[in-house]
Amino acid sequence: MKRQQPIELFMPPNMLKAKVGGGLGGMDMAAMKRAESAMDGLKNQFGDWIASDVKALIEARANYAKAANADTRGALLRRAHDIKGQAPTFDFPLIARVAGSLARMIGELPPTTALPLSLIDAHVNAIQVIHKQNLKDTNDKIAQALCAELDARVDEVLASSAKN
Amino acid sequence: MSNYRFDRLKVLVVDDNAHMRKLVVTILQAFGVIQIFEAESGDRAWHILRESNPDVIMLDWVMEGMSGLDLIQMIRTNPQTPNPFVPVIMLTGHTSLDHVARARDAGVNEFIAKPVSVKTVMSRLVAVIEHPRPYVRTQGYFGPCRRRRGVEEYRGPERRSESPKQQAAE
Repeated sequence: MKRQQPIELFMPPNMLKAKVGGGLGGMDMAAMKRAESAMDGLKNQFGDWIASDVKALIEARANYAKAANADTRGALLRRAHDIKGQAPTFDFPLIARVAGSLARMIGELPPTTALPLSLIDAHVNAIQVIHKQNLKDTNDKIAQALCAELDARVDEVLASSAKN
Repeated sequence: MSNYRFDRLKVLVVDDNAHMRKLVVTILQAFGVIQIFEAESGDRAWHILRESNPDVIMLDWVMEGMSGLDLIQMIRTNPQTPNPFVPVIMLTGHTSLDHVARARDAGVNEFIAKPVSVKTVMSRLVAVIEHPRPYVRTQGYFGPCRRRRGVEEYRGPERRSESPKQQAAE
């Protein structure tokens, strides 16, 4: 980025350090241990959470198919993006990968280019299958092939859009 | 060993996804943070921000309506902001260099790439407490210095011959 003039550089007082103290600082291991335990306590809810995220994605897909516009497209992107970010925490890394592929396609295609519904469906269906079959092993050969195929199809769509 | 008084912190967690908010709030509570405010949108966050003036904001990027980037720009530059220097830790599934650069240009202090973990939340909190960045004001930007590390953090010997310190030593 081109440097802009004039530049004013200053250091505000560190009010945060004054407030929380912490001596020499560093990671608070006791607090982290407590947080890991608290996360373990949430794990029994992760199944419901991923189910609700998948349901929200299916609804967003249906809304986009019914009326393709900026709002429904944005909602579909947000649902895919949420799942991409959260599914690994919920122990569904394969779902995260497929959702990431879908989010990449929606996010990188120009807003004026219509989204290919068939490829959206391929992603949504794959996520449903992985969820229903409780596939969590990232080394699963069939799942790997499926993810690679979806990635390749997205690459094609993006390349074709870039040419036009 | 650190003994932070996290119970003295006020943290605002902004995410339109209730599960992600619950996850982050659970981690913060386990750290000992008591005053946690939650917002499901940028608009709601702006309202809470002006009422409660939090010490740290943990903010999602992709949200319906006002995005995380829009909110940061308001925090840094709107005349009604209660604290333009408030540290903002951005939670994001975007991890490309281009996205990181955009967020830095908007005034983000630290990033947490999703999936969120206890370790990354602690490490970014410690970063904003222990290593605050200097602030920069130019015609087109106000916010934390976008260099990852300031030159003042260099602790090694001066090696340039024209260095005043070295000249003095000689």
